[in-house]
Amino acid sequence: MKMKQVAFLFLIFLASQTVHSWKKDEFRACDQTPFCKRARFRKPGACTLIAHDVSISDGDLTAKLIPKAPHDQDQDQIKPLTLSVSVYQDGIMRLKIDEDPSLDPPKKRFQVADVVISEFETRKLWLQSASTEKINGDDGGLSSVVYLSDGYEAVLRHDPFEVYVREEAGNRRVVSLNSHGLFDFEQLRVKKEDEDWEERFRGHTDTRPYGPQSISFDVSFYGSDFVYGIPEHATSFALKPTRGPGVEESEPYRLFNLDVFEYLHESPFGIYGSIPFMVSHGKSGQSSGFFWLNAAEMQIDVLAKGWDAEGGILMPTEQSRIDTFWMSEAGIVDTFFFVGPGPKDVVKQCVSVTGLPAMPQLFSTGYHQCRWNYRDEEDVENVDSKFDEHDIPYDVLWLDIEHTDGKRYFTWDKMLFPHPEEMQRKLAAKGRHMVTIVDPHIKRDESFHLHKDASQRGYYVKDATGKDYDGWCWPGSSSYPDMLNPEIRSWWAEKFSYDNYVGSTPSLYIWNDMNEPSVFNGPEVTMPRDALHVGGVEHRELHNAYGYYFHMATAEGLLKRGDGKDRPFVLSRAFFAGSQRYGAVWTGDNSADWDHLRVSVPMVLTLGLTGMTFSGADVGGFFGNPEPELLVRWYQLGAYYPFFRGHAHHDTKRREPWLFGERNTALMRDAIRIRYTLLPYFYTLFREANVSGVPVVRPLWMEFPSDEAAFSNDEAFMVGNSLLVQGIYTARAKHASVYLPGKESWFDLRTGTAYKGGKVHKLEVSEESIPAFQRAGTIVPRKDRFRRSSTQMVHDPYTLVIALNSSQAAEGELYVDDGKSYNFKHGAYIHRRFVFSNGHLTSSPVGNSRFSSDCIIERVILLGYTPGAKTALVEPENQKAEIELGPLRFGGQHAAVAVTIRKPGVRVAEDWKIKIL
Amino acid sequence: MKQRLSLMYLSFILIISSRESSSSIPSNSFIGIPPQDEDYFKREIIKCKNGSKKFTKAQLNDDFCDCPDGTDEPGTSACPLGKFYCKNIGHAPSFLYSSRVNDGICDCCDGSDEYDGKVKCPYTCHEAGKVAMESLKRKIEVYQEGVILRNVEIGLAKRAIARDKAELSRLKNEREVVEKNICWMSFLFHRLRWQVRKLEQEPQEKDDKRNEKVENEESGPDKNVDRQIEPMKASDVEKQGKAGESPSDQNEKDKHESSEGLSREELGRLVESRWTGKKMKNDQLNKHIQMNQEEGGPDAGYEESVVDNAGRSSTAQYKIGVQDLKNSSDITTPSGKSWLDKIQETAQNFLQSVNLFSIPVVNLDANKIRKEYNHYTAKLSDLESRISSLTEKLKFDFGKQNKFYLFYDRCFELKQDKYVYKVCPFRNATQEDGRSKTQLG
Repeated sequence: MKMKQVAFLFLIFLASQTVHSWKKDEFRACDQTPFCKRARFRKPGACTLIAHDVSISDGDLTAKLIPKAPHDQDQDQIKPLTLSVSVYQDGIMRLKIDEDPSLDPPKKRFQVADVVISEFETRKLWLQSASTEKINGDDGGLSSVVYLSDGYEAVLRHDPFEVYVREEAGNRRVVSLNSHGLFDFEQLRVKKEDEDWEERFRGHTDTRPYGPQSISFDVSFYGSDFVYGIPEHATSFALKPTRGPGVEESEPYRLFNLDVFEYLHESPFGIYGSIPFMVSHGKSGQSSGFFWLNAAEMQIDVLAKGWDAEGGILMPTEQSRIDTFWMSEAGIVDTFFFVGPGPKDVVKQCVSVTGLPAMPQLFSTGYHQCRWNYRDEEDVENVDSKFDEHDIPYDVLWLDIEHTDGKRYFTWDKMLFPHPEEMQRKLAAKGRHMVTIVDPHIKRDESFHLHKDASQRGYYVKDATGKDYDGWCWPGSSSYPDMLNPEIRSWWAEKFSYDNYVGSTPSLYIWNDMNEPSVFNGPEVTMPRDALHVGGVEHRELHNAYGYYFHMATAEGLLKRGDGKDRPFVLSRAFFAGSQRYGAVWTGDNSADWDHLRVSVPMVLTLGLTGMTFSGADVGGFFGNPEPELLVRWYQLGAYYPFFRGHAHHDTKRREPWLFGERNTALMRDAIRIRYTLLPYFYTLFREANVSGVPVVRPLWMEFPSDEAAFSNDEAFMVGNSLLVQGIYTARAKHASVYLPGKESWFDLRTGTAYKGGKVHKLEVSEESIPAFQRAGTIVPRKDRFRRSSTQMVHDPYTLVIALNSSQAAEGELYVDDGKSYNFKHGAYIHRRFVFSNGHLTSSPVGNSRFSSDCIIERVILLGYTPGAKTALVEPENQKAEIELGPLRFGGQHAAVAVTIRKPGVRVAEDWKIKIL
Repeated sequence: MKQRLSLMYLSFILIISSRESSSSIPSNSFIGIPPQDEDYFKREIIKCKNGSKKFTKAQLNDDFCDCPDGTDEPGTSACPLGKFYCKNIGHAPSFLYSSRVNDGICDCCDGSDEYDGKVKCPYTCHEAGKVAMESLKRKIEVYQEGVILRNVEIGLAKRAIARDKAELSRLKNEREVVEKNICWMSFLFHRLRWQVRKLEQEPQEKDDKRNEKVENEESGPDKNVDRQIEPMKASDVEKQGKAGESPSDQNEKDKHESSEGLSREELGRLVESRWTGKKMKNDQLNKHIQMNQEEGGPDAGYEESVVDNAGRSSTAQYKIGVQDLKNSSDITTPSGKSWLDKIQETAQNFLQSVNLFSIPVVNLDANKIRKEYNHYTAKLSDLESRISSLTEKLKFDFGKQNKFYLFYDRCFELKQDKYVYKVCPFRNATQEDGRSKTQLG
């Protein structure tokens, strides 16, 4: 017996060893990455470039960057670089630096295409003139200054060159580039005879035919105490320093889209997606942002205070500051400075460049049930009926890779799924949808029409020798369509038509996985950097955007399929800046442990902050078997993720919500139902994101910008401006410390109990729910009827929950449309504003809406209202409604604790007033 | 007359339109209430069933939830805990979750759950009733067939148990005899050797080789006498094998880690296997199963687990094993008497021959004895394994009246799509898809 245990433990040990040991050395650390290692060795002030020929042309401030004192040996560096500064509406400055195309560089450097939206150019402000000023104490002295926006200026210092944004008055800086002189731009050049440009890593050789071409520079944020953003990393929300005093493990944040098996929960290593956008925030309550449009491998250091102690460069000292160092393997400098000043302003400014998040279909904001794999049609039917049997709502059932015929996407396993259309129709009859997986690797099988078509047309990415790149993924030997090419994207999009995708129906939507791209036998489990795309672009130059282009092409396919009338739903694992325009993302293959539950919050917050608002983590954790308690806690938290899906690896035990005993089923049902009651609120928030970019799930400081205690809090988050949610991240928790920001009170969502704002509350925790509160002064619309799916809720009446602030006032909004089409773009929506003050609740329109709904408001709940009144008068009908005490929530035995206006019966689409008598 | 008709028509329209505008408030306030409960709701003031609250008649099914337990809204979707009763005349009545009321999907076969006019539900209770009746009938038939089958099985099992018990006691008797004979032969052998030595002492210069040979051979039976030790040693060897395996495993994993020197396809498959767990994890699983069986499992399982080692179908092997047993017992049972007699005969023959004191003859006899000895020890171990497997078998719980007794050696196969499911009731269950095989536990 003992022997057995020992042997088994030994095996486990071996297994765990291999899991943890290979991971690190399978991926390149900075010091194994020559450009990163080189860049990190640079000393402050090493850049000697000065701005020359500064002038205004084509509405831009332009200059040439040339070395101040060219070294004789360093012939390559003396070609001047072109610099241009452009300004755009709403406080955006764009700085571009590239090689001068008129000087015949060996190759045109890659500029990331199709990320900046076309409307952005229409917001350009044409500069007429620049003023020149001398900054005292500077011997070089000259700077060119241009208007940026009200109260802000863009400044180009000539010698040494530095670009920054400052406040007009008082000379307070906002964001600057090259203030520490770390700028370096490796120009393309001809190989010298004794040079070896090849790079080898774990048996893979990168031919690097164009040699070194990296770019690095320092960016400083002023008035800043924390920086955030640059997803995707499984790490804290406020980015910890990666270099300088007090930093032990010195590894920069890496942006390189990779399929990392069992990623660690606390690591700066790059995972599935990249958005090179950083946001800074400080005590002043002000935020600023910086975005580098570059899709090559990037490494970013957040520098600890005092990192430049020996640098000898004088920086303005009156402002707190965070310095960062950005390195990229290739591409150009195409950067955007955002002045803020509010956190929401920064997000708005960023999405005005990369696009607003798509408006999702209503169904996709409900609960999704996924597993690798629902085996066959019978399994699907069984799971579907179990949801009904247990009265648990859900909207979408997912099929992973095993549903296909030998991992040939767009096909079905004939044995397991002989009647895919009928299967989808059965789900659709209950208002439910299905999602199937379509990955970018195409099986190299001559009898597979997609492969035949793609190879005949030459649509695959090529290897360094010009042959179709042949990698290994689920189907075995596979090739990858070149999604950089718009022609290939539209070819791909055609594949989603009902004719081409045999067995698809209008209720079928798509999941894009493995689009980093994941290549099992490639370097770092991805495509070789010297693989070639259209126009001779090397994979290294666009790697981080490959998944983005793939996601884009798939979303376009669904749009085409529905004649441009049906909003696509596409979930992607890889992403880049701009992916928010095409659908949702999730945080990939997480693990069923408490740490991963915990880290999902900063990950989702970071995605939202950088524009990618429709995101979530796999509920339950992909790898491993969660304890029932962990699973329940995950449902309770996941119900507030913008994207709410349960998913599991095929080696795990089944974990649908009804498999863990009655009590746990009830708890999970309750968690999912909370999401469904809040769908009107979520949908309203998705609309807010769709028009402003402000994310559905927000950090506390986005709503309370001056509340310092909130700056590094990533245990709790805001859902919209009204709800605060904090997960429970430990087993058998009895208490939780919850910080409630601001001056107003907060009402417990379950009990209605009021808690004071601006302090940490030690709360008792039950298994029934995680701490969640409504902020005083807000109104949250709900639908309290339980249904099979969101589809059946369309006609159900609303409940308004009014949390009154200290002056007995509150306000909130409700957005409604058909949940599917683009008619809302032509005004087919209802957008109401509810205001409660002086004992009157009024509903008034926001904008001009032309959408009808027979939905009424069945109940108005008042939190923080002194009971006493017995009736309310509804205008304009002049009908009376009773006021009584009622429960705050339904679906269990909840005590009657809340003042409730019973059946006011007003229609959501109309103007009305309810007066408490 | 005409006027009256048109009036009726008008009121009809009015009813329909009013029905539509009042959305989901039912015209019949008793909708969704089972008949036995109707009296409960006929009062002016009605209590919520959990006693939490009271509500008026007007609040019954008024599409607003007053009782947290749903008492006041049996016929609407207003209370999440409400239950809607469908009469389903022509079929069985049923209760629905309130979430199904007026959700646009027909749930009751009488369509009563959809009364807000948004969908029209066909009345399908008669058809549904028929279908239900048919399936019930079929169920009864199957059950009856099953009862007959079970009785047959019970009868067969009784006989089989009696037979097996008789066989067991017979085998035990045989074992006694064989053991005695082995003992006897061992004694004879030693005596013979003693005699040989005595004879050899005179011509000292005898062939060393022969001497050696005898000595070598002598160790044979000696060792075999010590039967008890044998299985332990075998398992020792197993363990050593395992111990020897781990480093090589390690090597393999080291190789994975470096991954250099793998072909591109091998590398692809290796990385893929992390997600699919197909190779590495299965191996580990198998090892785990093996260990379980080795350490704690019944003797009978031992050989199987070794077979599993090779990664081949253990069921097939097992079956063959069973057949072997049966074959041998088929042969031995009729001729059993004769071989028992033979033992005694040969033993006596030896006794006689021992008296002849010439070396060649003695040597010849020694060889003969050794041969016979080996033969009988083999017989003995065969007997022992049959005894133990029979006792094992009889130890199992075969259900009431031992109705599953005959399932002991049986396996059932079910082909479903590309998988073949194989269940051997008192052994194991597997899923095969041609290439790989999964133990289902």
